[in-house]
Amino acid sequence: MNICYDWLKDYLRTDLPNTGEVERLLTEHAFEIDGVAMVGYHAVIDIDVLPNRSSDCLCHRGIARELATILGTDLQYDPLAHVPTLTPTDKIKVTIADPSACPRFTASLVTGITVKESPGWLKDRLAALGQRSINNIVDATNYVMYAIGQPLHAYDADLFPQVDGAWRLGVRYGAPGEVVEILPEGGSTEVRQVVCEGTELLIVDQSSDTPIGLAGVKGGQFAAVHPGTTNIIIEAAHFHPTITRKTARRLGIVIDASKRFENEPSRELPPYGQFEIIKLIKDIAGGECVGTVDEYLEPKANPEVVVRVSTTNALLGLTLTQDEIEQMIARTGSMVTEREPGVLVCTGSWERTDLLIEVDFIEEVGRLHGLSNIVSVVPDTGLSATVNARQYYSEKIRHTLMQAGYSEVITSSFQKKDHIQLRNALASDKSYVRSTLTHNMHQVLDTNFSHTDVLGIRSVLAFEIGTVFNKVNAEAREGALGQKNDPGVGEHLSLAIGVRQKGNGYTPKDDAPLQAAISELQASLGVDLEFDIDKGVAEIDLSAVIATLPVPATYDSMVERTAATYSPVSAYPAMARDIALWVSQGTSSDEVVHALRTPAGDMCVRIDLFDEFTKDGQTSFAFRLVFQSQNKTLTDAEVGEVMAAINATVEDQGWEVR
Amino acid sequence: MPPTLGHQHPITQMIDEINHIFADIGFTFAEGPEAETEHYNFDQLNVPKDHPSRDMQDTFWFKDADVSEPTVLRTHTSPVQARWLEEHGAPCQIIVPGKVFRNEATDATHEAQFYQLEGLHIGEGIHLGHLKGTLEYFFSQFFSGKTEVRFRPSFFPFVEPGVEVDMRLLEGESKLAGKWIEVMGAGMVHPNVLKAGGVDPEKFSGYAFGMGIDRLGVMKYGVEDVRDFYTGDLRFVNQF
Repeated sequence: MNICYDWLKDYLRTDLPNTGEVERLLTEHAFEIDGVAMVGYHAVIDIDVLPNRSSDCLCHRGIARELATILGTDLQYDPLAHVPTLTPTDKIKVTIADPSACPRFTASLVTGITVKESPGWLKDRLAALGQRSINNIVDATNYVMYAIGQPLHAYDADLFPQVDGAWRLGVRYGAPGEVVEILPEGGSTEVRQVVCEGTELLIVDQSSDTPIGLAGVKGGQFAAVHPGTTNIIIEAAHFHPTITRKTARRLGIVIDASKRFENEPSRELPPYGQFEIIKLIKDIAGGECVGTVDEYLEPKANPEVVVRVSTTNALLGLTLTQDEIEQMIARTGSMVTEREPGVLVCTGSWERTDLLIEVDFIEEVGRLHGLSNIVSVVPDTGLSATVNARQYYSEKIRHTLMQAGYSEVITSSFQKKDHIQLRNALASDKSYVRSTLTHNMHQVLDTNFSHTDVLGIRSVLAFEIGTVFNKVNAEAREGALGQKNDPGVGEHLSLAIGVRQKGNGYTPKDDAPLQAAISELQASLGVDLEFDIDKGVAEIDLSAVIATLPVPATYDSMVERTAATYSPVSAYPAMARDIALWVSQGTSSDEVVHALRTPAGDMCVRIDLFDEFTKDGQTSFAFRLVFQSQNKTLTDAEVGEVMAAINATVEDQGWEVR
Repeated sequence: MPPTLGHQHPITQMIDEINHIFADIGFTFAEGPEAETEHYNFDQLNVPKDHPSRDMQDTFWFKDADVSEPTVLRTHTSPVQARWLEEHGAPCQIIVPGKVFRNEATDATHEAQFYQLEGLHIGEGIHLGHLKGTLEYFFSQFFSGKTEVRFRPSFFPFVEPGVEVDMRLLEGESKLAGKWIEVMGAGMVHPNVLKAGGVDPEKFSGYAFGMGIDRLGVMKYGVEDVRDFYTGDLRFVNQF
């Protein structure tokens, strides 16, 4: 939520700290700051208001109140301080079909206004928030929402039919198939037609039962304010958060108003919205308010909550006194009384719809006191934990396979085609979940074989341990129905091992090392394993294997691992050159590699010994040199130059190129 | 020549290390299904249907025809908390390292699948100080240097108070040293979650935390793109 720093001065005046301090206070005690930008000459703070505070803090007054709470002061001007007095009227009638869906609906009639450009100060504030000015009336509705959080909507009263001298507004659910026309959205000029499913709450012109907007989500063209408008009806209501949210999500509309209704602002707020907008319109558009109708069918007051000093300290790990706790809770604007020593009864101020149970208040105490004051309790070490068989045996298998030269991969759980398709896939090539690891392993073998030079390996040996999913037939599912912990999708841990020795694909020779690896595993686990083997890839249901194995009492001690330093894989192709040379017997391959390192230069990413034999007092070494750049494709000529330098070094050393 | 040794994937290396560190302070490695019911993934964790708190996690759903009740690819490892409490009750000390899924656009810091580490410690008199001490102990071991932790206010439906956790490595040559880094969300387990798991919140309290193991890998090894973990490319894996 964008908050204009200067706007906060309206409420805090001289108590408002500088922007840096505002950022620090909010970060430490309330919300994360996503950034601060200068918009014109205004500092605009992007505050990541937490979901539980989106009921009261998605507005400037809310943030100012939060700052006052943190600072331990009161607002110097608070539009929510006193219940507003609004003149009643019978010129507007409101019919609410379901009070639980719309507990409160207010509407004011304001006559004799002039629609015109907004004054500079108003345009300036909206511009700071990135909002375009439309006209003084529409701008006023937006301004009041950003000021105190109440969404509002204005209608041209003369375009709104009257019945028996009164305007009639209704709130009801849309009938399935009923069509509502709503205003075009971002960039579009087309009126959007929405077909109701029956769950949408609608605002209707009761005279003809015509839908004029989706409650809390989007208004329609009906009775829109235009340059010649002189009389207006202003709506400020409370719509059920879930109903608003469902409709907004289904239609993909997330606007400032729906976002606020979704987060359940207080039901007490609409009259404050009316009071503020009537005052503002009178100021910038003239006219007189005839009166306001307030249909408040389902009031909801904040509960009295018992907050214990002992529980507060027990959860926070602090030793606060009752006085300290009382004071901090009172700073939030809550009512606090002592029931008995150590037991407080607290009621959140009306706009705080999030303070409902004891831990809600304990959280307030924790953050106002400062979470930096929490003192660490160092855990005891040398304890033991029950061994997880799956982790234990997975590690054992990994180490056995790594000893045999296999490297571990983790691949995508998503497939282009398989048995179980997701309802809402990310992309068409990721719309199924995998039922096997074999398919991915074939790909791993294919793609890695082209990198054997860079990897310094002759064949690709890889394995994966991961979850695969399978359909459980409908009959088995029937049986499981009613057991709420059964998803109905089967899954198990699987192990796949793959071998590829030739670049042009699988050869039957690949099965021999695979069989050898399986034998190693059988020896290590002490069980017979029955793998499905498919063209150089073997796969087994590891969950089934582990189920037959004993659960050990302790884990093996951790393997010492050297600190890995990682560098990104080059996107450019590698080039390999082989060199074989004679050296006098006794010269080690390390000495040779050391000598070649300098002329080989940075482009040479590997020097691997692949052949060695000794004959007549001379040793032959064969090396493969791999060249690759992080930022370009190397040319033959570039690599040729390096090889020439290497050959020169070989000659200088008195070695002989074979 | 002796065979070249194979390489272990950095994610499972980290999980092994995490498990050893936590086992030594009494945490058991727990696990649960990756195809998880809506009941455990959301409802039992105080994340009601059609509530804005569900926006925090974009979810993959299975088709109704394939499942006996609404089922998702788990969006976090937290459902294992609920399952564990139901089965074993309190007190308990578990970690849950495991694969999770989010239906969101991928980039260098987001992948549709990643690994998460969940922690849950329920007992009598467990408070935020235990959480802080445990995390400081873990990070100090994991990053091989004294590490401090600080909390900032946050919100997650399954905890209250909820905190955002920053860590700072106080010593060593690492690029991480001396900087506050946001690493995870945590908090005291919400009484609704305890009750849903059959645990009496008047008797027991506890903390829970959840962090991305991939993100730990970014910090520990300097991996620049989290998608590299899942390409199956040995040019990546064999560096570890």
